[in-house]
Amino acid sequence: MEIVKAAYINEIVKISKKKKLVVSVILSVLFVIGTAIGAYLLNNFAGIRITGGSEFSIMVLTILIYSILPLFTTFICVDMFAGEFSDNTIKFTLTGPASRIKIFLGKILTVATFIIANLFFVMILSTIASLVINKNIPNFLKIPMSYIMAFMPIFIFALVVVIISNLARGTTSAFMFSILVFLVFNGLNLVFPQTKGFLFTSTLDWYRLILGSYINFSKISRVFLILLGYCIMLITAGYYLFEKRDI
Amino acid sequence: MDKAIIIENLSKRYKNNRGIQDINLEINGGEIFGFLGPNGAGKTTAIKIMVGLMKPDKGSVRINGYDISDEYEKAMKNVGCIVENEVHFSYLTAYENMKLRSRFYTDIDDAQIHKTLEIVGLIKYKNEKIKNYSLGMKQRFGIAIAILSNPDTIILDEPFNGLDVEGMVQMRKLILGLSKEKNTTFFISSHLIHDVELVCDRVGVIHGGKLLATDNTQDVLKNYSSLENYYLSEVDLSGNC
Repeated sequence: MEIVKAAYINEIVKISKKKKLVVSVILSVLFVIGTAIGAYLLNNFAGIRITGGSEFSIMVLTILIYSILPLFTTFICVDMFAGEFSDNTIKFTLTGPASRIKIFLGKILTVATFIIANLFFVMILSTIASLVINKNIPNFLKIPMSYIMAFMPIFIFALVVVIISNLARGTTSAFMFSILVFLVFNGLNLVFPQTKGFLFTSTLDWYRLILGSYINFSKISRVFLILLGYCIMLITAGYYLFEKRDI
Repeated sequence: MDKAIIIENLSKRYKNNRGIQDINLEINGGEIFGFLGPNGAGKTTAIKIMVGLMKPDKGSVRINGYDISDEYEKAMKNVGCIVENEVHFSYLTAYENMKLRSRFYTDIDDAQIHKTLEIVGLIKYKNEKIKNYSLGMKQRFGIAIAILSNPDTIILDEPFNGLDVEGMVQMRKLILGLSKEKNTTFFISSHLIHDVELVCDRVGVIHGGKLLATDNTQDVLKNYSSLENYYLSEVDLSGNC
């Protein structure tokens, strides 16, 4: 466990020293401010009421999980795997007294931390913004629950990127292919609704299941178990490729 | 004598049919072993397998009694290494890079990091990012990482590459000093025969992926005018077989 902790701290230190993290924070702030200004103008000057109190945070989340969050997550995952393979720094990491499974777990935990931190940061910002825009109290139960639920499908997408990064020869191809997978999967969900049953991208907004007045717990449990199954399979596949790869 | 490294029937073949074939080698504790061979002979492949960066097609490597495939952490606990021109995290400082490595050990503190940087003459530049280092400084920094944990065994792939004359002299002194003071075992691969001749107790010649011969350096120098002549004669002999 100590070695996993060391690998995790190392990965956190590495991404915290990269400009990509600063850029992701700045863009997240700009994203929330931009959306808030847009919503405020539409609400007050165009006569179109697009959000209520808690709806603003949910609207921000919906835009976030289909746009900048998958993008930032792809950046981080590609950097952490394909990036280190292509610039050979992975040798530095792998020649220490830490087995590959522990290094892999350290990296995966870092990706999870990044996603959670990003969601938390945007949730706080959007909640503050919604207080300013609507001047009424947002739903402090459903908003955090929605953001917590949004973690799982994004984490699954991150695991897909990890697999692509372990297979790709360079960072550019890993990045492009990951974005392509995201777009194609979402496109398939729109064009062929029957694919929604097995493509994880159809669950990106599964937090909507808790937003209505009636909450279908059996459906939530079913989707949760499907997502959990995805997690287990993708972590196993990702580790298998990471372990087998000759450096 | 205790065996620090035992390599048995080690083989690895790439798609282009190059690689290494049935390498058998035993390195005694405290020995400085030179692994000589031209570029593409298979030195780096052997070293990558030894430190777990590659999986062999067949064969095994035991370091300090532990099999590298089955007990990786125990095997590498007391090993320091440089593989090829090891690239460090260029956007981090020397200190930060060393801190990354030190977290895997319970007994390495800041004093140890400073002491190690002092040994390789980089203490003045500890807060400079690695991307600003010269090639020679990067090579010395690689050594600093390799010796940080005071390992029993150090595996170095082409440690003299990129060093100027002074750097080479320093590197030789460092290797000989650690061997003498701490009885550290060294496995050094190089194509620079002169440097190997000056530091190694024993040498092995690898060519075309096969280990052609191993001998004590002193015995070689008794029978040949230089290590270079020994190397050429071994390569010639293998070519005539």
